[in-house]
Amino acid sequence: MTKRRMFLRMITASLLRRRSRMLIALLSIGIGATILSGLVTIYYDVPRQMGAQFRSYGANMILLPEGQKEMSPDSLHETLKLIPEDQLVGATPYRYVRLDMTLRQQSFTSAGTDFSQVQKTSPYFSVEGRYPENDREVLVGKEIADTIGVKVNSPMQLTYKPTVTVSDHAEDDWVAGATLAGSAEGWNNSLVTVTAVLDGDKKIASIEIDASTQTEEYGGRAMTDLNFQKQFIGKSLPLTLGEDVDALTGATVTSTAIVDALNTSRNASQATVAAERTGYFTVTGILETGGEEESYVFISLSDMAYLTGENKLDVAELSISANADQLDAYVNAITEADAGVIPRLVKRVTRSETAVLSKLQALVFLVTAVVLLLTMICVSTTMMAVVSERRREIGLRKALGASDNSIRAEFLGEGMFLGGLGGIMGSILGFVFAQVVSVNVFGSSIMFQPLLLPITVIVSMVIAALSCLLPIKRAVAIDPALVLKGE
Amino acid sequence: MSLLELKNVSKIYGELKALDHVNIHVDQGEWVAIMGPSGSGKSTMMNIIGCMDKPSVGEVLLDGVDISKESSKKLTDIRRDKIGLIFQQFHMVNYLTAVENVMVSQYYHSMPDEEEALEALGRVGLRDRARHLPSQLSGGEQQRVCVARALINHPELILADEPTGNLDEANENIVLDLFRQLHNEGTTLIVVTHDPEVAEAAQRTIVLEHGRVAREVINENFGK
Repeated sequence: MTKRRMFLRMITASLLRRRSRMLIALLSIGIGATILSGLVTIYYDVPRQMGAQFRSYGANMILLPEGQKEMSPDSLHETLKLIPEDQLVGATPYRYVRLDMTLRQQSFTSAGTDFSQVQKTSPYFSVEGRYPENDREVLVGKEIADTIGVKVNSPMQLTYKPTVTVSDHAEDDWVAGATLAGSAEGWNNSLVTVTAVLDGDKKIASIEIDASTQTEEYGGRAMTDLNFQKQFIGKSLPLTLGEDVDALTGATVTSTAIVDALNTSRNASQATVAAERTGYFTVTGILETGGEEESYVFISLSDMAYLTGENKLDVAELSISANADQLDAYVNAITEADAGVIPRLVKRVTRSETAVLSKLQALVFLVTAVVLLLTMICVSTTMMAVVSERRREIGLRKALGASDNSIRAEFLGEGMFLGGLGGIMGSILGFVFAQVVSVNVFGSSIMFQPLLLPITVIVSMVIAALSCLLPIKRAVAIDPALVLKGE
Repeated sequence: MSLLELKNVSKIYGELKALDHVNIHVDQGEWVAIMGPSGSGKSTMMNIIGCMDKPSVGEVLLDGVDISKESSKKLTDIRRDKIGLIFQQFHMVNYLTAVENVMVSQYYHSMPDEEEALEALGRVGLRDRARHLPSQLSGGEQQRVCVARALINHPELILADEPTGNLDEANENIVLDLFRQLHNEGTTLIVVTHDPEVAEAAQRTIVLEHGRVAREVINENFGK
């Protein structure tokens, strides 16, 4: 039998056959190791856990189109590839456009977005009813809903009226929906102004005449005489008085001016062209956020593309579960990728996250340190009791020729054996402990860190060894002669 | 040839002279008993001979080496290599079996050898009790284990402190028979005792009184 085997045999015999005392030491090391591994597990998992919690407070990065470039769903998709999938909580694209509510002559800021992502980046949004799931469904901000009195399931007609300035006045450029305005001198050299809207066939769809400068009983009647106005509807420009349109009785001068004004408007250097698109929507939900979102209406990106004829994005809000350093790295990566997208961090959010996390981690660190200290005191006290309990045995060993180093090795061996055993016990219990804490506090399960097992065992052994230093000093000081003295 | 020689040895604790100019010598292979009432300096002498204490004055020659000035580390080495100790209180490691207790002595001396340890137990008639813990052994059995432990490393000197003090007569005789065997094999024995019967088993008895050697008695019946 080698000396080492005898050494192990003595140590295990000491631990196994002198159970009660050693059980206390083992228990204190085990509990210490449990707290250690449990808290360290939480310590490392807290950023992940808390990060996910923080993500419920909204986006921490926004993407904007760079300069004059346009951001499309495709370029957004490419950019998102730069962020690890498991850290990207959500990415919500937005396209802001003013839409008219056709029947009420009101216009609102409307946002085209991806509702599945909205729920990830803005989980605090509160929706009465439900988020839109299909095309032609609309989510209405509470403020608007209150103003115009829509409810869930109300119909809502939304019209897109772009304002496009056309500088080329060739007749072919007048497109469907163009609004033409012109003026000409009428009676008494005063100006008569006419505004006409063209329909899809470039014919007059509606007309509005301002003849307030004319004599009320004669030319002024042009403003109110519907029979006179009706003559213009469905006609193409230019018009000829007497052929296309009959003059108002007794107001030939004014009538001529109206026709001239219309004909002139064709030659105006500028005219507004409106390519209107209308969609018939159903309200599925009323959005309450307590913020400016309540004055928006939200529709899907595909509906927005249908109404505007454009598939582009104004901004994307990203919610990324990462620490400040990682976020900075992603900002750099996106900037370097140069895909026409500028990333910006929402500093307010990332800063407070970092601050809270570092405080929490400091707390965990402190608690761990205190627990380890207490463990050391407890183990040290137990070992001290063990040494005084075993004074005679130690004396005997010395009398039999044990050197001081042998005595040290034996006690250190016992201590470290206990430390190792307690460490293994603590790793397992610690994981269970962390799991329970995580499930109860964060509502999610924790990942087992394999590296933590050897770390916990080693730390426990070191703690146990340190705890044994003072008791060992006592043991070494025992006089072998005491065994010779009778009781 | 003398194995042990105390020359003018004194041990002084403050005012008290535990040993006072003691001169003794023990020859190689000799069996000596040391007697004396309580407080006569027996324990102090045991400690000094057993390399667990140093004299205040004087020389202690063990196997020709003066151990009176050695460091305690060196004394531990000498004790381990040359001396086998037997105590009145038996003193076994209570969580180790009989054979393991014997092996502890081997462990500190050189190399544990379970076979040899079992043989030693066989010699004291306890081979079948080798796997028992001290609590499962009688006092006499425990003391026989201690004898086996003391002789396992073949020491030049066996130093026994009241080895039969806690034993009944039957066990006392067993232990004394073991001493006789050891003596016949040439082992030097120093036995400290109160018991005149135990002293009479030795070749020579040194009587201590008040820290001095009062007289020496040669046992004329020895070996008869």
